[in-house]
Amino acid sequence: MTMTETPSSRIEVSAKPPFYRDVTIVKWLVQLAVLAAVIFVAWFLANEAGDNIRARGLTSGFEFLSQPAGFQVSDGIDDNPATGGRALWVGMVTTLRLAIAGILSATVLGIIVGLGRLSNNWVVNKVATVFVETLRNIPLLVQIFLYFTILSGLSRVALDTGPINGWLHVSNKGVAIPRIKIADGFYQWLVLMVIGAFIARFVFKNRVAEQERTGNDSFALPIAAAVLAAIGVIAWFIHPIIGFLEAPLWAISDVLDGIPQIAVQLGLVALFFLAAARFVKNFRDSRRTPAGMAALTDDDWFRQIFAFVAAAMASVFVLIIWPGLSDWIVNSSSDLFGVLADKFGTNPETGADRSGAPFAGERPDIVQRGNFPNYGDSGLQMSQAWAAIFFAVTFYTAAFIAEIIRGGILAVAKGQSEAAAALGLSRMQALRKVILPQAFRIVLPPIGNQYLNLTKNTSLAVAVGLADVVQVGGTINSQSGKALSVFVIWMAFYLACSLTISVIVNFFNVRMKIVER
Amino acid sequence: MSTIGAAGVELGRPDMIVSDGVDKWYGDFQALKGVSATIAEREVVVVLGPSGSGKSTWIRCINRLEVHQGGSISVDGIELTNDTRNIDKIRSEVGMVFQQFNLFPHLTVMDNITLAPRWVRKQPKADAENRAMELLERVGIPEQAAKFPGQLSGGQQQRVAIARSLAMEPRVMLFDEPTSALDPEMISEVLDVMKDLARGGMTMMVVTHEMGFAREVADRIVFMESGEIVEVGTPEHFFTNPTEDRTKLFLSQIL
Repeated sequence: MTMTETPSSRIEVSAKPPFYRDVTIVKWLVQLAVLAAVIFVAWFLANEAGDNIRARGLTSGFEFLSQPAGFQVSDGIDDNPATGGRALWVGMVTTLRLAIAGILSATVLGIIVGLGRLSNNWVVNKVATVFVETLRNIPLLVQIFLYFTILSGLSRVALDTGPINGWLHVSNKGVAIPRIKIADGFYQWLVLMVIGAFIARFVFKNRVAEQERTGNDSFALPIAAAVLAAIGVIAWFIHPIIGFLEAPLWAISDVLDGIPQIAVQLGLVALFFLAAARFVKNFRDSRRTPAGMAALTDDDWFRQIFAFVAAAMASVFVLIIWPGLSDWIVNSSSDLFGVLADKFGTNPETGADRSGAPFAGERPDIVQRGNFPNYGDSGLQMSQAWAAIFFAVTFYTAAFIAEIIRGGILAVAKGQSEAAAALGLSRMQALRKVILPQAFRIVLPPIGNQYLNLTKNTSLAVAVGLADVVQVGGTINSQSGKALSVFVIWMAFYLACSLTISVIVNFFNVRMKIVER
Repeated sequence: MSTIGAAGVELGRPDMIVSDGVDKWYGDFQALKGVSATIAEREVVVVLGPSGSGKSTWIRCINRLEVHQGGSISVDGIELTNDTRNIDKIRSEVGMVFQQFNLFPHLTVMDNITLAPRWVRKQPKADAENRAMELLERVGIPEQAAKFPGQLSGGQQQRVAIARSLAMEPRVMLFDEPTSALDPEMISEVLDVMKDLARGGMTMMVVTHEMGFAREVADRIVFMESGEIVEVGTPEHFFTNPTEDRTKLFLSQIL
């Protein structure tokens, strides 16, 4: 090996290779080829699907959304939906109700059971262990059938029966309990409560500052909660003063209605290119060092170019492929403000009195309909199918959440509680200030996953015939034959649910993140 | 029963820590066998011994991170019993520094130091923070106040841990192998802080393998093996003229 370079080797290094061996060129060619292939495959599939659908006489439109549904929905906010769209919406609300109720109750139950598994109390510990080991090892579908069977064995509904007549009804028609209902004055009351939340926040910060100044506990959270409750009570009586919002909301609705389609399209195009420019600017800022611009790799250049390609593709979409989208955006937002305005004014059609109370209580009742007694319309009713799925997803997910909670608390090193104890913090203080903040950070991502699982698992409702979004979609599909459209709606719906959960979980995750080197 | 004498009487100062015949079992393994010692105010005692000899267990008993099962321990005249009031009182007088630092990773250096003063001592935030800055200056890292523990080197973390303990104004400091988890080049920065504390008159019990520190700073050295105190003496006596065979063997292995 020689330490000096020979002239010949230097020439070899600097000599230009043929283009097919040049790393830079090859990389660019591959990138462009992949992009072209993706665009071609998308175009080909869309074209092929279109041809096939036309050849088989299938229409892939969404007309069924506005056409009469032609079937009844067994369970949900509307038994007899007017249109297919309304029927799907009823199914979606049922799914969302299941998911939200399931997430809340699975979280509470999971925390209790998880702490129970860490308990020194022998009985509590064993009960929690049996709960977890049983429920997470039985398939969800089996549990749904099991609960449904148990609920089906309940006695038949009869007039003036209980267990507590007029308060709690349990029978083969399901469970009915009292409920609190949103009443006519709710939306005006809600606006006042938003203002009240800001006031409570101000009070909270004030009390925290007081604690910092004196060192004594200032009960910031209880006092802020009390302030909010007091505002809620006052707002109950004075909420009609918010009625003036009706006129400006109608005005906004009218202005939106007057916007021409081309203006929306151009606005969207401008938005896409602004977003692309912003992305490129941020990207270049991130590559800027105090010593000047860092050298950009080919991938870096490709990203910047692709940002504009994507903007151009999106523009083509809104201008040429689906111009109706812009109309739909304008009309929907105009309608939205119309609906909002309606919430603040007295509607002559429905006769809603917006100066009424924001909430109303309702007790369940049993009425004679035809030959057989059945539950009336008031109160909160859970059908057997609904209850079976609700309990199944709740128990099943709670078992997993319990294990996550237990693992999270155990994962906070023992040294942390020892250090807190050595500093003189009480067990409660150590838990609140040291252990839980760290455990929360550990358990949040896996619990978010469980929320996603729970939401998607509610689609097993089909097994016991509950009219969730999947079942209603299936019925529409078999009636209209528009499988593609129904699948698009299903996917879009579950995707929207999952992304919403992910965004919420991620928001907290980022806030809790521990700074490391 | 192994005993070291009433040092306070010899030195003409009151006793700070009195450990009298302390026993501790883990299952059927006896980790401490009647450990008796008296440590006077402003005294610095270094505890030496092979690993597994019970030295960490002993000092962890003194602020009740471990519960002793026989004998008695008292700190500044307060006996350590099942009474939570006594435990809280002793913990507020005894600071502890751990081998693994045990800083709270979700809090900044400043919040680590002010946490206990603000919520246990109910100090106003501004006062606690001023005091924390003084302590950070004393341990030589005031510029790190806003950082998180994960952003500091091991030596810096251990100095923060010392400052955190000092913020509670303890009368006694316990050090459980404070330099064992550190890279060699960071050991001296922590030992310097400890020497400074010793010169300032803090009562200290130090479990360590740093012989140089023991020789330079300790008033007395306690040598433990198999859960018993084998030999007690001044550094001069201990390093030049040990009487017990087990001590001689230990010294021959490490020096």
